[in-house]
Amino acid sequence: MTAIAKRPGELLWFALLGAGVLIGAVSAVTVLIKGHAHVYNVTREIPWGILIATYVFFVVSSTGLCLVSSLGHVFGIEKFELIGRRAIILAIITLITGFGAIGMELNHPIRMGIYTILSPNFASPIWWMGTLYGLYLALLCGEFYFLMKGHHKGAFALGMIGFIAAISAHSNLGAVFGLLEARPYWHGSFLPIYFILSALVSGGALVALFVYFNHKFRGIDLPDHYQEFMVSLGKLQALFLTILIFFVIWKIIPGLYGQPPGKYEATMATLTGPLAFNFWFFEVLIGLLIPVTILLNRATRTPFGVMVAGLLSTAGIFFMRYDLVIAGQLVPMREGVDGLVNGLLTYTPSITELGIVIGAMAFCLLLYSIAEKFLYLGEQKH
Amino acid sequence: MKNKRFAIVLDTRKCIDCKACTVACKAENNVPLGRDNYRNWVDQGEVRGTYPHLGQTFTPGQCMHCANAPCDHVCPTGATGVNADGIVTVEEKKCIGCKYCMTACPYNARYYNEEIEAVDKCTFCAHRVYQGRLPACVETCPTKVRVFGDLNDTCSEVSLLVAKYPHRVVKPEMGTKPYLYYII
Repeated sequence: MTAIAKRPGELLWFALLGAGVLIGAVSAVTVLIKGHAHVYNVTREIPWGILIATYVFFVVSSTGLCLVSSLGHVFGIEKFELIGRRAIILAIITLITGFGAIGMELNHPIRMGIYTILSPNFASPIWWMGTLYGLYLALLCGEFYFLMKGHHKGAFALGMIGFIAAISAHSNLGAVFGLLEARPYWHGSFLPIYFILSALVSGGALVALFVYFNHKFRGIDLPDHYQEFMVSLGKLQALFLTILIFFVIWKIIPGLYGQPPGKYEATMATLTGPLAFNFWFFEVLIGLLIPVTILLNRATRTPFGVMVAGLLSTAGIFFMRYDLVIAGQLVPMREGVDGLVNGLLTYTPSITELGIVIGAMAFCLLLYSIAEKFLYLGEQKH
Repeated sequence: MKNKRFAIVLDTRKCIDCKACTVACKAENNVPLGRDNYRNWVDQGEVRGTYPHLGQTFTPGQCMHCANAPCDHVCPTGATGVNADGIVTVEEKKCIGCKYCMTACPYNARYYNEEIEAVDKCTFCAHRVYQGRLPACVETCPTKVRVFGDLNDTCSEVSLLVAKYPHRVVKPEMGTKPYLYYII
């Protein structure tokens, strides 16, 4: 076991995460005491707020980590085998964090446990979402167990089934939005497909981060094979990001062409309306253009550059999730709704909602840091 | 015996925007106070024409009790259901508060009721209707905008109205097959 050396930096890191978790815990208790309606800014018209976006962000990350790691122990690209354990444990942690975020958005998580089993509606994409992600979590745990034991066949078999579960669960998450005919901005088969691709970008970005920072925090220079891995990952990320740019463009064009009702207004909300800064600055510049520039340029495609690109993409992707969830609800379902601004509804997350988001991020990083401290997650010794 | 099929026929020309229907509904169904909490509403259309020749349409509405209800399709626990007479219901104890039905409804007819701890909506005042009484919004309306009845009874007032007058439903393109019929 490579323990993190006792350093003030480590203490500071855990203190910081502890503070973040505390903010989340205080926010969660506030919700339990005061009730959702009093501390969340979600409304009748915009019932899904930043917590749903956070949930989507985390489960997309989980799927992405699973897909990228399967390149190694399922699809046999040897370079990727060295990230297997870290990717899968982080996939488990991000998934659990995502469940936590949606748990805080649900009014009755306990009823969910009871009635999704006693009274399932098989026509509901949310029923499938819970079921498929539950199955996916179990498979990830099994896969992690086999990876830790060095049981290749087991890891391959569960990895393969996990890969299928990940794609099923995740495309179904796209369908949770995509099957809503009432919401033209979401409706259609685009989102299930887009979610899979954007998961790859998320997963690749997070892999770059944990590979880089694990060595940095331990004060170890990146060994040669990790350096090579980072450069290969950078190339792959460049490919994923380039394709994602086209997905973003093709999401916009049908929203503008012929000004389709509902879809047009929501698209304009992201291009020139209330979500424009998020879109142009965070999604396009920070999330896509700067990373893809770093990664396509041979001179900047260094391990450090790949890490920076990963960090920027991850931040950009969070805003991508937020904008997607909110934009779909900004167009009112009826004329004559109160409080429209330029024909659109408004939503700004409340302090409590933001507190839970901070808590979720800190919780995820804390669990991962603890896993790093107590488990050996490096490549297997042969 | 054939099932009943409840419906409301509305004549928006008669609506004076007094909102008595909303008040009666809130009182009848213990709808909590607050901006988001209502089961029925009156939408104000844009003012037409130029002074002094002006016009405005008021459109009352509520859950459309769709024959092809999106809220029913998406509810993960079957908390939302549809009675044989077409009334769309919510079984409170099964509602997990995921609000999927609220995003699925093209009429924004649903809200989360903190007091009953479930998503709530118009039930055509089923508790009154099953005792042979009218829904509160129908009974209270001073100009009789709304007419409630059974469309499967060919002699009912609603059947006669939809036979006599051309009518429309809201957002027919959604394919929800709503059972609120608007004469104009």
